[in-house]
Amino acid sequence: MLTPVELDALRLSLQVAVVAVAASLPFAVAVAWLLARRDFAGKTLVDAIVHLPLVLPPVVIGFFLLILLGTKGPIGGWLYETFGLRLIFTRWGAAVAAAVMSFPLMVRSIRLALEAVDRGLEFAARTLGASRLDVFFSVTLPLMLPGVLTGSIVAFASSLGDFGATITFVGNVAGETQTLSLAIYSLAQTPDGEAAALRLVLISLVLALSALFVSEMLARRVRRMLGRA
Amino acid sequence: MVFRLLVAAGLAAALTLAVPAPSRAQEITVFAAASLQNALEEIGAAYRQRTGHGAIFSFAASSALARQIEQGAPAAIFASADEQWMDYLQQRNLIVDATRKPLLGNSLVLVVPAGNTAQIELKPGFDFARVLGADGRWVTGDPSNVPVGRYAEEALKNLGTWDFAQTRLVRAENVRVALAFVERGEAAAGIVYSTDAALSQKVRVAGVFPATSHKPVTYPVALVARHDTPAAREFLAFLESDESKAIFRKFGFVVH
Repeated sequence: MLTPVELDALRLSLQVAVVAVAASLPFAVAVAWLLARRDFAGKTLVDAIVHLPLVLPPVVIGFFLLILLGTKGPIGGWLYETFGLRLIFTRWGAAVAAAVMSFPLMVRSIRLALEAVDRGLEFAARTLGASRLDVFFSVTLPLMLPGVLTGSIVAFASSLGDFGATITFVGNVAGETQTLSLAIYSLAQTPDGEAAALRLVLISLVLALSALFVSEMLARRVRRMLGRA
Repeated sequence: MVFRLLVAAGLAAALTLAVPAPSRAQEITVFAAASLQNALEEIGAAYRQRTGHGAIFSFAASSALARQIEQGAPAAIFASADEQWMDYLQQRNLIVDATRKPLLGNSLVLVVPAGNTAQIELKPGFDFARVLGADGRWVTGDPSNVPVGRYAEEALKNLGTWDFAQTRLVRAENVRVALAFVERGEAAAGIVYSTDAALSQKVRVAGVFPATSHKPVTYPVALVARHDTPAAREFLAFLESDESKAIFRKFGFVVH
């Protein structure tokens, strides 16, 4: 039904998106909490930096990543020398590019959910003897779960579709970084590649719709669980 | 107050749209292969000095440009890096056949980052693995459509290392992006044109592909059928003039 090349691109897209979301989730929750609950010098700057990937052209983000995380870059070079870890031309680099591009979307969703949490409930838990950490995990986190879920799905969908940052940072390597977007791009330039490109476009559409459907189901489940139908 | 400001802004916008744009009839658009960028920009400057008219260039992989022309992009002249993409347009009756001419030639080279002093003879069965190292990758234009990648695939197939090479390949959108990856030292090697290698201090030519290993690198140029204007014909003639030929030669192109 699907050719090996198409399967490769699909599998890679899913892998990259899952890794991107999973790896950035804890950071997104931490940053969202920082921006929602704390006031500090330079807070506006942090907010601005977090939102940069939304505003800058994706290719620019990819270029920054290339300079910083390439094997000749300050951070990437250190990673390569110390751990033998290479991000450029690999699926891990693709996951980093996707994660960076979808980070602001995740943070926004989680921050909104966090700001909507009734702090009265948190104080009540504290008066009942819960530690701050306990309050976070047993009161705050469950209450902001719908937002975390929405943020994750949005970030997942955004990671699936990332193109500019991926191709600029990790390049187009078949079987390693050639996600659905890059495969469609290659095929669209190839003579007689339109049919194959269209097939991949349909696959992407099915994937995106499935992700939205799952997100809606999960959101409903969680709302029911929290007693808000 | 705000309302009045909005009305004023709206009127200003409407007025700017109502003023006719200055006539660009003499500015022609040239779509050219990425490897021609430096030479053509200099030729464009010379043309502007001579005639006062300019040319707008769009440099990209010949594949991308051909597809854009097919979809109606307003190019007056197309300079491709291989015959196949010019054939592609000719088969669809998109160029003025009589104006098609093979303008230039070039050669294919293997480049490495400047610090690498390796020198390798590119003959059948050459050790590509040694050039790349244990986990190094090489880069060229996407062999599925970009001319330099096609030439590279052909050459490597003829020299017997394509099966291995394919597993380490990074596909770039065009030859200049490939060059950039090697310049940064991220790719262990790249296959580009000799003219591109000559432009960069950050790469070294490690070997030259024998002319027999691939189809001759030819740059056909032609007028695009939909934009056959006197200004376009004038620029095409200038491209074939001695002044332009001297500039092409300066950059290392073989002039036919």
